[in-house]
Amino acid sequence: MKLNVQLSPNWVLDYEMREYPFGEPVDFCIVGTGAGGGLLAQRLARYGFSVVALDAGPWHDAERDMVSDEAGSQRLYWNDLRITGGTDPLELGANNSGRGVGGGTVHYAAFCPRFHPSDFRVRTQDGVAADWPISYEDLEPYYEQMEREYPVSGPAYYPWGRPHGYPYGPLQAGTAGQMLIKGCIELGIRVVAGGPVAIPGGAFGRGRPHCIMRGFCLVGCKVGAKHSMAVSHIPDAIRNGAEIRDRCMAYEVPIDEEGLVTGVRYFRSLQDGRVVEEEQRARAVVVAGYAIESPRLLLNSTSGRFPQGLANSSGLVGKFLMAQAAPVVWGRFDGMIRQYKAPPACACTEEFYETDPRNDFVRGYALQSVSPLPIAMAHLLVDEDGRFGEPLLAAMQDYNHYACIGVLGEILPDERNYVSIHPTLKDQFGIPVPHVHFSLFENDRRMMAAGVQKAREVLEAAGARETHFVPRYAHLVGSCRMGFNPSDSVVDQWCRSWDVPNLFVCDGSVLPTQGSANPALTISALAARSADWIRRVAPTGEFRRRAPAGVREAR
Amino acid sequence: MPIRDRYPGYRVLERRDHWDDATRRVVMDRVYNVPEFRHLDDHQRATLEALCDRVIPQSHRPPQRRVPLAPWIDQSCGKTVLDGYRFDDMPDNPTAWNWGLEGLDQTAQTLFGHDFVDLEGGQQDQVLESVCSGNPPGEVWQRMPARRWWIYVALRQISGTYYAHPYAWDEIGFGGPAYPRGYYALNHGAPEPWEPRELPTEEGRERT
Repeated sequence: MKLNVQLSPNWVLDYEMREYPFGEPVDFCIVGTGAGGGLLAQRLARYGFSVVALDAGPWHDAERDMVSDEAGSQRLYWNDLRITGGTDPLELGANNSGRGVGGGTVHYAAFCPRFHPSDFRVRTQDGVAADWPISYEDLEPYYEQMEREYPVSGPAYYPWGRPHGYPYGPLQAGTAGQMLIKGCIELGIRVVAGGPVAIPGGAFGRGRPHCIMRGFCLVGCKVGAKHSMAVSHIPDAIRNGAEIRDRCMAYEVPIDEEGLVTGVRYFRSLQDGRVVEEEQRARAVVVAGYAIESPRLLLNSTSGRFPQGLANSSGLVGKFLMAQAAPVVWGRFDGMIRQYKAPPACACTEEFYETDPRNDFVRGYALQSVSPLPIAMAHLLVDEDGRFGEPLLAAMQDYNHYACIGVLGEILPDERNYVSIHPTLKDQFGIPVPHVHFSLFENDRRMMAAGVQKAREVLEAAGARETHFVPRYAHLVGSCRMGFNPSDSVVDQWCRSWDVPNLFVCDGSVLPTQGSANPALTISALAARSADWIRRVAPTGEFRRRAPAGVREAR
Repeated sequence: MPIRDRYPGYRVLERRDHWDDATRRVVMDRVYNVPEFRHLDDHQRATLEALCDRVIPQSHRPPQRRVPLAPWIDQSCGKTVLDGYRFDDMPDNPTAWNWGLEGLDQTAQTLFGHDFVDLEGGQQDQVLESVCSGNPPGEVWQRMPARRWWIYVALRQISGTYYAHPYAWDEIGFGGPAYPRGYYALNHGAPEPWEPRELPTEEGRERT
């Protein structure tokens, strides 16, 4: 079919997209088109595989569907019913989900730091959480690829983790981000201007103009300057023969007698409003629906062989869900800030990222610029103390005097944080809904308190008259973790199920720990690494029968 | 705390010719197509309107510049799933509003012997402070956590509705939609040539 999607003012995606009949098997059916699924679709298509990638949501046309308006951007989020609980229940929806081609990257702030080498060895170094089955060095070449392909702009020298530089120079920071820089410099804390953020400092490719400092990154970039998978990799996937099939909500991954998955069953919403059931047959399946929908799909795919859910012989599907602590600290300044201008992601420090023996907690946090638009700011104010009436209006009248810092802190994985299937509630398709359970534990609370205190000090050093904070959480990872063997994890180092040789999970779910870095770049880097391995081993019949250990891990 | 007109004469809507079509349509629709009441009954509606008046007082503005809030809340009562999640100790959105408005009456009856809507403003505020504290009198609050209702249902929705409106943007000096024009003045909180300056306060806060 001929596409007609406006991705930027200068770019209409008008390719002839290949379509595959759903009854005939393709090489790969991918569920989800975000940082993991979108990247994998592009790589696998380039490597010559036939690929169909499903997304539950629609294409988002930049001219028609995206608006410079907070309340008018609901279509970008996953708004289907989910239940949230635990002692510190997570807000879902707009906060940490995406729906539509490009997934959550359509409306993320696009902070794209790498993980640190220490993130891969937390168990070894700190005696808590888990080690990864891979090292930083395994991922480093893929980080470099992603930073050029998204692409990412940032400082010439980034001093934290494994020091590196960015291929594109930093954008101008707004006044709000400058307060983070100013405060850190006053206190002698190393800080960088310029993200790292996936907005190139100039035009990129033929279709992506430079940033116009509009400040609406979190409701989707009409300009097409900010990265999303929809403007970076998905057009290339289509050009290389992949089909992106939108408005398709997967509900089951069926399995045959030999223990191989055979495709994906889904509800497809047609333009005329009808909903039809289809099954895309495939020789291999990639589940890439992020840390709630991926375990939900697996847990809802029960069979005689997998009564507890597909690929769940370990019982770990859905377990070890993580969010990052993301309390927002704001300071009121005498001078004007006008925080709505310029991309919110423009400065950070990772000086407090690593375990410090002087702390009463392990691991750490980053401080990043954030700039809430008016509704988000009002919600911070009401959340803080339940204020209403004139105190609320007066506090909001100071909107242009606030600068905010987002603490982004590492919450440790815990089996008591998990996704399960609600016993009775169903969504609009009749699919059982997920129930998310999330609680903070002692290390998490101490780390958050320290991060908030540090952010307050930075804002005060920059000149804030008063500071405030409310708890927030960001990102969702960990619920189908990768590990060393079939009993400690759901997938192996290549994101492949231990239980089912032709099933992959390739999104944030596979992260064993999360560091204090926004996860998108790492998710894409992992997907790119998996794609290279898939290309290498596909001819050996690996996806019909898992090779014995030793042979399998040979590199 | 008196509400001061900090950006006198600022009308973000006057810039609408500089906005893109899709954004203009969404914002103008919000201003000019206020939904009819459909879901709440007359008493609930009166209670909700009284609640909105206490959360976002607008008596300082001329009537034609007041932002309607209750109709949008009523409209939300047509949706069981509002924004992608429900706390596991909360009912769905319409039920939360039904119960919460009933709870305001129960608390008002216990504290003052009248329904919420029949109290004077100061008493209504005391009822709301009691709900905000998390432990108000009233049977409803035994089955629904009061603090959760207050923050996530009442305040988030009412404040979110208000600050979605261009008249509220005028009040806080928000530049509003900025595509395709963009922003250029980024240092020292400077205004664009078309943006308002803030009136100085007695503390001398404004420096632009």
